[in-house]
Amino acid sequence: MASRERLFTIIVGCGRLGSYLANRMSHDGHHVVVIDIDESAFDRLSAEYSGFRVEGDATEFAVLTQAKIDDADLVIAAAREDNVNLMVAQIARKLFHVPRVMARVYDPQQAEIYRDFGIEAICPTSIAGDVFLQSLVRSPAANEEGTSQ
Amino acid sequence: MVRSDVNLKQRYRAILSYTGSILLLASLLMLAPLLALAVCPEESAYSMGFILPAIVLGGIGAVSWRTLRPRKPTVLTVQDGGVIVLLSWIVVFLFSSWPFVVVQELGFTQAVFESVSGWTTTGLSVIDVAGTTHVILLWRSIMQLAGGAGLAIIMLAAIAGPRGPGLSVAEGRSEQLVAHVRESGKLVLVIYGGYALVGVLAYRVAGMGLFDAVNHAFTAISTGGFSTKPDSIGHWDSPAIEAVTIPLMILGNLNFLTAYLLLHGKFKPVRRNGEVRLMAMLLPACAILLFLLVSRGAYAALGKGVRVAIFETVAALTTTGFSTTSYANWNSIGFLILMVLMLIGGGTCSTAGGIKQYRVYLLFKSLVWEVRRRFLPRTAVVANYVWQGERKEFVTDRRVREVAVFSFLYLAMYVVGAGILAAHGYGLKESLFEFASALGTVGLSVGVTAASSPVGVLWAEILGMFLGRLECLVIVVSVCKIVRDSHAMLVQRRRRAAEQDVKRA
Amino acid sequence: MNVLVVGGGKLIYFMCRTFLSKGYAVTIINRDRDECTWLARRLKAVLVCGEGANPQILEEAGAATADAMLAVTPNDQDNLVICQLAARRFGVPRTLALVNDPDNEEAFRQLGITDVVCTTHILSSLIEQRAGFEDITNLIPIGEGKVNVTEVVLKETAPVVGQPLSDVGLPENSLIASMLREGQPIVPRGTTVLQPDDRLIVITLPENHGQVLKILTGDMK
Repeated sequence: MASRERLFTIIVGCGRLGSYLANRMSHDGHHVVVIDIDESAFDRLSAEYSGFRVEGDATEFAVLTQAKIDDADLVIAAAREDNVNLMVAQIARKLFHVPRVMARVYDPQQAEIYRDFGIEAICPTSIAGDVFLQSLVRSPAANEEGTSQ
Repeated sequence: MVRSDVNLKQRYRAILSYTGSILLLASLLMLAPLLALAVCPEESAYSMGFILPAIVLGGIGAVSWRTLRPRKPTVLTVQDGGVIVLLSWIVVFLFSSWPFVVVQELGFTQAVFESVSGWTTTGLSVIDVAGTTHVILLWRSIMQLAGGAGLAIIMLAAIAGPRGPGLSVAEGRSEQLVAHVRESGKLVLVIYGGYALVGVLAYRVAGMGLFDAVNHAFTAISTGGFSTKPDSIGHWDSPAIEAVTIPLMILGNLNFLTAYLLLHGKFKPVRRNGEVRLMAMLLPACAILLFLLVSRGAYAALGKGVRVAIFETVAALTTTGFSTTSYANWNSIGFLILMVLMLIGGGTCSTAGGIKQYRVYLLFKSLVWEVRRRFLPRTAVVANYVWQGERKEFVTDRRVREVAVFSFLYLAMYVVGAGILAAHGYGLKESLFEFASALGTVGLSVGVTAASSPVGVLWAEILGMFLGRLECLVIVVSVCKIVRDSHAMLVQRRRRAAEQDVKRA
Repeated sequence: MNVLVVGGGKLIYFMCRTFLSKGYAVTIINRDRDECTWLARRLKAVLVCGEGANPQILEEAGAATADAMLAVTPNDQDNLVICQLAARRFGVPRTLALVNDPDNEEAFRQLGITDVVCTTHILSSLIEQRAGFEDITNLIPIGEGKVNVTEVVLKETAPVVGQPLSDVGLPENSLIASMLREGQPIVPRGTTVLQPDDRLIVITLPENHGQVLKILTGDMK
């Protein structure tokens, strides 16, 4: 993490991405609250995680308020469904004026559209796709034995 | 080497390293009583009694911290935290008794007793405070202040502390104020320090001298109960001082999360809190009972009777252990009420002891729920809950089981401990009272505890205080873990030696 | 009128049946193939099988020429995204989203959805009205909640019973719009005398709501 200031972060979704971010950020000293609809998802958090956990549906207003979204400096929407992420991101940005909001959106088309609306959408599909393509451009020949390029 | 071998060794290196850092911190605390020399420079002759152990302890701590430091940052689980807590507290107890041996000229058992009584915020004493040096008195109060906060919390607030909640959970402090355990630790210390400051000022206003004010403020908010006078708070016989002490004891007893919420003006979650409710019910009820059943008979003056009833109730329930009276002319019902209060104890995640109000509240509510359940349709589904801070905790059967098992263990230890005391010849009433006081880290005494008490009695009480402060289950589990892990490491070593022999052959 | 509807279940079936009977051109987007087949057999609507929140599907379904988009799936977040895509990508003039969480009603309006319908809110007030739990029922919030339409049943003990309407001193910006007497609707005039069991349909603003109720029923609700 480049910046040293402490961010009050809310992470929606405790799947692989959400828990990874939560563990890292808590380790770095940020205040983290994780929201997930399924309590067993919190098992993915490391023993070192020292933030809060909220069990609930993030599309419910009351759940977001319980997580103290009005005090948040950063909201990361990493739930399984794109639409949930888009909704949470917009509510965070437009209604609660959270300074920094990021959403993971799998569908490249939707990500593109919402970027035009001003939502910071991270699309793993297009990122991975670009990496694959770049790799092809660099070494179009077949994989050599033993190398991973 | 098998992966599990490496892991275990690495784990223990990390554990010992963290223990070392705690010992280093404790050694710094050992130098703090020397501040009393500012008021009484004539005692500087005794300073070696503190400086020497501080250096040795600090040395051991610093060495194990740096040399055993894990190359990769290791994550601390709660079990690891338990081992660290166990090891560090035991070492700290031993070194803290050094000044008592050297300066106060106590025997080994008595010195360990006093030091354990300090760190566990009990307050039972084998010292005659009338003739004691200021440095020793201040050291006792500092031990209680630090022990009350908990070494884990202090560690967390320090920059070199371990990450993650494993350590503070193991020490019995799992409540978290904000969404990061380090910040939470710092906040707890700030609140705690604030209490101490307010306490000192309040005592000064109420008429205590500066030295006494500092000592009593420290031991009041840590719910420890050590005093600079043999008659404890009763020495002043002052309603003003008692009026300052009572709120300090209640504050020290309050769960830090509740205090944090109060400071932010959030009264609703505080009102719903089970422990607050239990206290609000028990304190007036028992105070009134004590007044009606005991005070009227024991004390001539009405005012004194009221004051004693209220003060003793609060002192017992918050497990502080200040007293405003000797229990000479108390009847048995008075003793019983105090014993019940001591067994129930203070709030969880506070500096108090006992079974803890949360557990008692939960068991009581479980009874209510169970009765209510009998009136519902057979296939009805219920979701019982209690308020924890600002959110509902839905009480599972597992939780009730944990609480019930703990309570059983506590009461079992109580019976055994009281039995040991009685076996040494003390009366039943006295044994029950005194051991409840030791196990609950309260500090009220009917006289069983003294420098001349048999060694067996003192060691039973030492064990009681230790188990009471550190949540007996944690200690039991940690001891088992150490035993198991040492066995595992021994087996691995023998296996490896055998492999080497095979290779050479 | 071209109406695009996303959703499924009985709600979709009966709703679209009504639209079709009014002469609208209806296109339904549903993600389940079997349900699409079922609907296609019973309704004269165009059925598109796919995700409503997918821009490609919306384009195929003719969102570019739609006059209204109704997102009535069971998930608030899906309805939000569907309506936003329809409005901003395809320029559909009227969008309506169903919400389950009443708090999301206001949130969705702020995020640009023209019409938001909260099923739970409406259903609960209708049930209250039908079951007659209260004598005073808040019917429909109109004009984004700035105007209240309330039904008040006059009990025998109400202070205004026996008075002509012109004598009832209602504050400014409030009105008794209509009333039901023995099941018959009456347009009240100044000379209409109020009787017990009259059901008054009252229009108020939030600031005089309590006062009007007090005048009519004699107690604050």
